[in-house]
Amino acid sequence: MILYFSLNKNVASLSQNKTILQQAQEPNMKRRKFLRAAGVCIALPYLESLAVPVSASTGPRNFVAIGTYLGWHQNAFYPKETGTAYTMPETLMPLAAFRDHFTIFSGLDHRAPNGHNNWANFLSGHTPKQYSVDQMIADEIGGKSRMPSIQLTAGAGEGAKAMSFTKQGIGLPLIQRPSVLYKRLFPSKSDRARTEYLLRSGRSALDEVTVDARQLQRSLPGSDADRLDQYFTSLRAVEKRMGQQLEIINEPIPRPDYQLPDYDPITPNLQMEAENIFYDLMALAIETESSRVLSMFLDGLGQVFSIDGRALGAGYHGLSHHGNDPGMIQDLIAIETAHVHCLAGFIKQLQEKRTANGKSLLSDTVVLVGTGMGDASRHSNRDLPTLVMGGGFNHQGHLAFDPKDASTPLLGDLYLTIMQKLGMEVDAFSNAHRNLNGKFS
Amino acid sequence: MRLVLNTSLAIAFAGAIQVQSASGALSIPAGPAAVIDQYCLDCHDSDTEKGDVNLETLTVDWTAEQNQHFWERVLEVVDAGEMPPAKKKQPSPAERSKLVTWLDSSLTEHVAFGGTQPRRLNNAEFEATVRVLFDMREFALPLGFPPDPTVHGFNNLAQGLTLSPTLMNAYQEVASQLADSLYPPARPKPEPRVLTAGPEDLVLSFSAAAVFGDSLRLASRGNDSVMRSCTWPSRIEITRSGTYRMRVSASQFRPKSEAPMILEVRAREVAASDRTHVPEFRLLTTFPITKESPESVTFEADLYEGQTLLFRWLNAEMSHEPKEFAAHMKAWFERDSRMLAAWQKTLYPEMTLKSMKGHAHLRGMNGWKIITGHFVNPDLDMRHATMESPLTRELLKFLGTISGGRYTFADALCHYYHDNGPSLQLHKVTVEGPLRLVDSPKDKQRYARRKSLFGKDPEESTETYLRVALTRFLPKAFRGPVSAETVGHFVRIGMHHWQAGHSFDEGMHLVLRKVLLSPRFLFRSIGTKETQQHQLAARLSYFLRKAPPDSNLLKLADNGRLSEPAILKFEAQRLMPGGHQDAMVKDFTGQWLDTNRLPQIMPDPKFKFGENELGIARVEVEQFFAAMLRENLPMTDFIDPDFIYTSPAFGKKVYGLEFKGDARKIVRHTIPRGGRIGGLLGNSAIMLTTANGVDTQPVLRGVWVLENIIGMPPPQPPDDVPALTPDVRGATTPREMLAAHTKEASCAGCHKRIDPVGFVLENFDPVGKWRDSWPNGGKIDPSGTLPDGTEIKHVVDFKHWLTEHVELFAQCLSEKLMTYATGRVPNYRERKEIEQIVLDNLSESEGFQDLLLALIGSETFGTQ
Repeated sequence: MILYFSLNKNVASLSQNKTILQQAQEPNMKRRKFLRAAGVCIALPYLESLAVPVSASTGPRNFVAIGTYLGWHQNAFYPKETGTAYTMPETLMPLAAFRDHFTIFSGLDHRAPNGHNNWANFLSGHTPKQYSVDQMIADEIGGKSRMPSIQLTAGAGEGAKAMSFTKQGIGLPLIQRPSVLYKRLFPSKSDRARTEYLLRSGRSALDEVTVDARQLQRSLPGSDADRLDQYFTSLRAVEKRMGQQLEIINEPIPRPDYQLPDYDPITPNLQMEAENIFYDLMALAIETESSRVLSMFLDGLGQVFSIDGRALGAGYHGLSHHGNDPGMIQDLIAIETAHVHCLAGFIKQLQEKRTANGKSLLSDTVVLVGTGMGDASRHSNRDLPTLVMGGGFNHQGHLAFDPKDASTPLLGDLYLTIMQKLGMEVDAFSNAHRNLNGKFS
Repeated sequence: MRLVLNTSLAIAFAGAIQVQSASGALSIPAGPAAVIDQYCLDCHDSDTEKGDVNLETLTVDWTAEQNQHFWERVLEVVDAGEMPPAKKKQPSPAERSKLVTWLDSSLTEHVAFGGTQPRRLNNAEFEATVRVLFDMREFALPLGFPPDPTVHGFNNLAQGLTLSPTLMNAYQEVASQLADSLYPPARPKPEPRVLTAGPEDLVLSFSAAAVFGDSLRLASRGNDSVMRSCTWPSRIEITRSGTYRMRVSASQFRPKSEAPMILEVRAREVAASDRTHVPEFRLLTTFPITKESPESVTFEADLYEGQTLLFRWLNAEMSHEPKEFAAHMKAWFERDSRMLAAWQKTLYPEMTLKSMKGHAHLRGMNGWKIITGHFVNPDLDMRHATMESPLTRELLKFLGTISGGRYTFADALCHYYHDNGPSLQLHKVTVEGPLRLVDSPKDKQRYARRKSLFGKDPEESTETYLRVALTRFLPKAFRGPVSAETVGHFVRIGMHHWQAGHSFDEGMHLVLRKVLLSPRFLFRSIGTKETQQHQLAARLSYFLRKAPPDSNLLKLADNGRLSEPAILKFEAQRLMPGGHQDAMVKDFTGQWLDTNRLPQIMPDPKFKFGENELGIARVEVEQFFAAMLRENLPMTDFIDPDFIYTSPAFGKKVYGLEFKGDARKIVRHTIPRGGRIGGLLGNSAIMLTTANGVDTQPVLRGVWVLENIIGMPPPQPPDDVPALTPDVRGATTPREMLAAHTKEASCAGCHKRIDPVGFVLENFDPVGKWRDSWPNGGKIDPSGTLPDGTEIKHVVDFKHWLTEHVELFAQCLSEKLMTYATGRVPNYRERKEIEQIVLDNLSESEGFQDLLLALIGSETFGTQ
């Protein structure tokens, strides 16, 4: 099903996109300045942040969200110290080289009840399956690329069918196979020929369908017949869209020289392999401006990983129920560190790749890493380990909040800061209506 | 009595009656005209038009639907005594009756039955229709498909089921996918490949396997999910169904006997869940492994698209089956008391039964490390290491359970076999091919479907074939007779495509795509007088079965006999749902009683009410509704029955019921009538959906009961009313907070109706459990005065009142059923017909199924 991908929004070509983007920048900038100022004045009187010149043209344009099903073991994820002079925690060691490019948040959550199913609120805020932050962003800025948003999953187990939800609360399907993502991002000649065939043949046969439908309409009494007008309006819209797609079907689409393996690593035990390929493809998608909003769900089942040649003592899910057994925790951290290792490869690529104006893709992209599960051992959805990377933020090392304090900001407040950084005029998300601009901008 | 129209609708209608139609307008008779003149025109003349309502007219054009709605609204407010307002001069009962009688007879005379507009299939109907039409039980709309809007509480009303470009787009995608599944695009001939997997390419799942150098060792057997005893090469996935040549290199590791180890090879889908049980995957071959050095076995077998191999050691010493595992360990402990002591110490750290502290951390290798740690400890406590010790007895009992045996200690013990043998080693797996292509079961299923839909594929793409095929297929797809002309349109689509040089499959693919986009397929309630019988068939079938009409119904419709009362009744009885899992029961209760919303409610942790409990709450309602229908029970049983469906555990937790049985199994349990529990009110699911998981909101509950049980929904509250903060802290009770608000005259009218039925349910907490006080300790006062003056002290009184006035509930449910069945809200005349049916049902002491059958036999149901 490609409902949510390129087809309905790829009318404008890539070159047109840039113009649209530039035109849109001025008012965005003003709006954002206003919002920031408002946030600063009302919520937290942090005057330094006003001094930071804000310009949408230098603000980030992409958003990536990575969520794990089984959470992140807090003791190995949170530094002991707060602020910038912290000792790199064990799980985040692979990111040591990028320590100036990310902030670790502890103590934030959505104030939602516990349970495995409530995991699905990672991007949705207090209530699972509500309008997720990535889709809010996609609805605002995603349409400027061929694929308004991309949803991926690595290590598909049984965790969740969706991590991203539309405004109507529809869960978006997750792409599990790298070959499928590749095809969507960079369709080959024969892929495009098939699409073109379906469009052309579909269009050619519309006349007969329309004539038959008209005959049906004529046989109906007045108001019933009027009701069928919806059908014709919709049919015409579809036909028009097909026409637009046909116009651009042969426009050049970048074909990066990337070699996929001859199989899809879809089983849980090949999770890291899939993760690495997806990270590569995500970097390519951002670089080629094929998509601006991407998310990846890292599932977890009983797969036993071998890390550095050592098979771990139990499966991923089993380890997450460690019951504070040190041996199991050690193995769980090994898995989570391996995830972060894959992530570091992605961050490295973003740092090296450049936009047309020479800016690094990392400062052009907000990468949110987190989970809806605070402690899988207890199925607790409180105190959710979160990282924000890149995005041109002035990174703060470790920002610690007290999860037991009722006045502690919500994770949604951080999402508001992220959305505002991306140039969006938004001041409410799920149960959150403040922001963290005063501490993090 | 009903307040259906809100002010904005009244505004819309107010303009319309100013327009005097030249024809069809009837004079208002002198009697009612005088009442209007005297009591209404002060405010509602053409100058003042208070509330945008203008009653200054001499005639009414009853043919205009908006006039019917307008005057019905006038009837309602006058009949209910809401107009004229209390502070104004009031008409005498006789005067009021004069106006009401005239309006009633005019509306009854002029409002016509029927009026459901053409509507598309809703998503559930679309899925069911495709499943039946293509015999594709597995079909489901893709994740991300646009949802149906809910109007008047239901997702199948014509008013909501409009078509949009987005939806049309989605239909087009689905049509294309369905066409692909029957006529997939041609693919080039594949080049044979050689795929190889070493130990590092084989899956390690739980403790089933472990890698040692160039070999992977399997340790155990089991018939449950593959993940505990099997391995498979996850980097091999067959892309074309065909015959392949496999070579497997394997050896024994420290065998205990001369007997060969038997290696079993099956074909598994790479993408299948690892929870799939071993026997569900197709057996390819078994062969003996007899040597301790690698030996290769070569065999040929068919593998289908998406598959890889699956390996299992068929005669491993250790089994994951809990009983076998416990017996295995018992024998071991009898031989080796030190091993017994080590296991005792592992499960019972203090060597007492009470010292057992969970076992999740004893899974797999970690558990094995702990056991061996104890085993080699010279200070190991051996005092209990006898087979007679209670610790041993309990330990063995635990090892015989699924969670203790299969999920925990069997996984741990695998590591003993990995390290010490015997185990079966795999060294290398090679898959070469395809040597030749074969049809997979899916391919065969596809040909069978094509044949049953269109007849046998022809040698050549001919018009004759297509015409015959479509003459057979289209009446099924369009759920009724199809003219030769319509067949002709679709024949031409295929012919043009073939003539343009496309293949047979491509032509059929295109025709199918277009059939699925035709309004004749997508729409219901569409048709002319000639197709009335077929509309009736569809209405009956989608109502009772949530599926398109079957051949019986279509045949009766073809013969024009379905509308005969006896036949219609017979068919309705034939299709009548009776089980709690029937689609209609789940779908209707899910929407009427809002149990569809249960998954979104997240009860506060303090209630200890999780996904399991939410699931039970829902099934309780479905079981109850199905029993009411199946057993044709009297309508009063909806309110105050002598039975309840619940499980012993849930019944105890929520309803305080004590009865024996399988703790988790939902059963029918007899209860005394006239109590707090039983019936819809006080049912856990309904108390959940009318609260928010954290606290109760008496106003919302009251509104819900008025709307869904009593059938007198109050109008929307004014926009500026703040939400009642339900969390009761300090001295202010919700009742006190509400009292301030309802002093306002504009609020008082509705709250007089809402509050008593809301507060009387306050004894049910947000999950439906009985309570006497609010969380802040304040005592709950559930008493109140119903609008008719009846004093109620508590919910039992209220249930009693409802059974005395069961016609209100019966009318409410009948209207909901009729709305759901016909896709429209019944109009004035239809409600009168329903009222008569309800009264007959009650006076004849009939049951719920009788009522449903009478509704189906009504003119309201039978009119488009």
